[in-house]
Amino acid sequence: MQTYPLLAASLAIMLPFAGFLLSAICGKRSKNGVIAIITISLSLLAAGYTFTQVWDNAPLHVQWHWFTIGQQAFHVGIWLDNMAVLMLLLVPLVALPVHIYSVAYMKGDPGLHRYWMYLSLFCFAMLGLVAADNLLLMYCCWELVGFASYLLIGFWFTKDAAAQASKKAFIINRIGDAGFLIGIAIVYSGFGTVDIQALFGPQGLLAQSTVAGGQWLVPSISMPAVWLTVAGLAFFLGAMAKSAQFPLHVWLPDAMEGPTSISSLIHAATMVAAGVFLLVRVFPVFNETTLMVIAGVGTLTAFIAAYFALTQCDIKRILAFSTISQLGFMMVGVGIGMSHVSLFHLVTHAFFKCLLFLCAGAIIHEMQHLNQKHQLTIDPQDIRNMGGLGKYMPITCATMLIAALALTGFPLTAGYLSKDALLVHAFEWGALQQGAAKIIPYMLVIVSVLTSFYIFRLLFKVFFASPAYKQPIGMNVKIKEASWWLLAPMLFLAACSLFPFFTVNPLNDGEVWLLQGIAPLPTLPPLRLLHLAIPILTTLTTLLVVVVTWHWYTLGKYPLKTGGFFYRLSVHQGYMDAFYHVTAVQPILKLSRVLVWVDRQLVDGLVNGVAALGRTTATLAGWIDRHVVDGVVNLIGKIAWGMGNVLRRSQTGRVQYYFFVLFFIILVVLLYHIIVQA
Amino acid sequence: MITLTHFLIVSACLFSTGLYAVLARRNAILVLVGIELMINAAILNLVAFGRYDKALYGGQVFALFAIVLAAAGVAVALAIILNVYKYYKTVDPEDIRNLKD
Repeated sequence: MQTYPLLAASLAIMLPFAGFLLSAICGKRSKNGVIAIITISLSLLAAGYTFTQVWDNAPLHVQWHWFTIGQQAFHVGIWLDNMAVLMLLLVPLVALPVHIYSVAYMKGDPGLHRYWMYLSLFCFAMLGLVAADNLLLMYCCWELVGFASYLLIGFWFTKDAAAQASKKAFIINRIGDAGFLIGIAIVYSGFGTVDIQALFGPQGLLAQSTVAGGQWLVPSISMPAVWLTVAGLAFFLGAMAKSAQFPLHVWLPDAMEGPTSISSLIHAATMVAAGVFLLVRVFPVFNETTLMVIAGVGTLTAFIAAYFALTQCDIKRILAFSTISQLGFMMVGVGIGMSHVSLFHLVTHAFFKCLLFLCAGAIIHEMQHLNQKHQLTIDPQDIRNMGGLGKYMPITCATMLIAALALTGFPLTAGYLSKDALLVHAFEWGALQQGAAKIIPYMLVIVSVLTSFYIFRLLFKVFFASPAYKQPIGMNVKIKEASWWLLAPMLFLAACSLFPFFTVNPLNDGEVWLLQGIAPLPTLPPLRLLHLAIPILTTLTTLLVVVVTWHWYTLGKYPLKTGGFFYRLSVHQGYMDAFYHVTAVQPILKLSRVLVWVDRQLVDGLVNGVAALGRTTATLAGWIDRHVVDGVVNLIGKIAWGMGNVLRRSQTGRVQYYFFVLFFIILVVLLYHIIVQA
Repeated sequence: MITLTHFLIVSACLFSTGLYAVLARRNAILVLVGIELMINAAILNLVAFGRYDKALYGGQVFALFAIVLAAAGVAVALAIILNVYKYYKTVDPEDIRNLKD
């Protein structure tokens, strides 16, 4: 009876992987993406079935023996609770529209077969991550997600910027991966297991562990309490890199070098969601200190990203900073202990952010067509070159408006439910805090106003402002609405961004079925007044911002000077890239140069020295051979020659002389005989 | 009375004279004469010592052989000297140095 959901879940995970393998085998023949779309559709069906079976029921768990180290057996398995099945459903639900969208968007790209392959791998990795039942398996999938995103960001790797961006994303993610791994190591050394249910479940080991007298007491073992903080911070570091939190956010804006459809997937369900999901999964490990750090970093990220988004001109960069900002919101949600609201915001954000990117993609697509038709060379992603597109692309305009309203948390949208819930909970939490932490909810309100500002700036500049491209090409503008292959996914996501998908009562987040399904039992003490005041406040400010931006950007009455310090700070994204260039990249380059020098001079020098020594020894040996060994031989020869030369003189040729010598010798012999024998 | 010693002394004098002639004379003929003197000294010794062989007179007999052999040797040597003279136009040993290295 419980086998079928587990089987379906395994299918949902493995189908994209099968799609990946099939695409890889087919190679360049599989350009139309049929394999990827079929596998992700089937995966969606399987995930949907799993969801209906598991949601609000008892969690399911299956595991198989993986490997054994010493006495310790490791298992691999699937752990399906409400959270996992929710994500399991969300990933293919967002990925399928992106797949369909890609058919039209990526048409004619020479590397299309790689595209579908990577896309399937990406989905598989994320699905595996959300359903993994232990941290080690989760880490594997986590790395796979990072790797697939590296491949996709650098999809147009012949472009230098894309290649650089993919490297940047990968390297920064490595920092986070290291954190995640350290976290796993600490937890494993403390508890001797990496099983998520055993560790973080309601009756898990972390729930039983206590902190007393500076010691972290676990049923079987104790270690200094500081390790609890370190473990939490390590996990958070992993999430920081993956979910692009300040100061590790720099890879996400650069990741816009990938295809827009990929950006939408990265920003919605697969890549950045992994970090938030990890935090929600390991939530019990966080203590007071860590939670405060998470909330602080989240607030800071939300604020500065929204601030940077204000002045960006690249349509995708604005959306990228918007994502970072919203991820900051989710981090704050985790930091204030309301991780289920974070997850809810993750889900709603997945829909409307994916939609925003798809709309942006459609716009960029049309701008490129405009470029080709009129032989222009304008940047198709620069919103300064757009304007008045609402007339030509009404459906795109409408869907993007819905997404923008959802982003600002306007009533009747899904964003209203999740974002305002986060804001309200932040105020409830703030009421219990002392000191500087009290400003966090107020910061979030400011961020929310900034959010409204930058997104409506984007909308009005793109759709309603007077067109900038009319100048060179006159009135004969041929911009069409996007094709239905692009529009259908957008319309679907627009429907998901509205409230009926989540609740029957559009004004009360308490009735959202999704939240009820994943809410932990203890919640913050509710402040009833806030539930009324905050939504009214944000809605009013949003309306105000809409009016202001309409005046500034649509009617062209921009009152402010550009070029001030704060403006430049925002345009250059806080000079973060420059900062990293000076503090990280250049020292590493310098270090590399030093190492090259060491390699060239010391290592090579050593080798060359040995070689020179060998040569010198050989020369010396040669010298000895030539002069000593040969010398002895030559000396003997010389002596023989010299003696011969001396003795030669005796050969006078005079017969009488010979006689004389003969007699002399005989005389000597005789004398000898006489003397010796006498 | 004349003893063996007297013979030996005479013989030694003869030998020395011969030796002197051989080593010092500038004429090949006279060198040959020196050699004859040295042979006669040796023969004189043979004869003198032959006194102790009364039975066979080996010394005397051997002396006769030696005189004959010396005569043959002189004949040969004189022939050589004649040829040398024909070739070199001289019989001075000092001038004939073809054995020199």
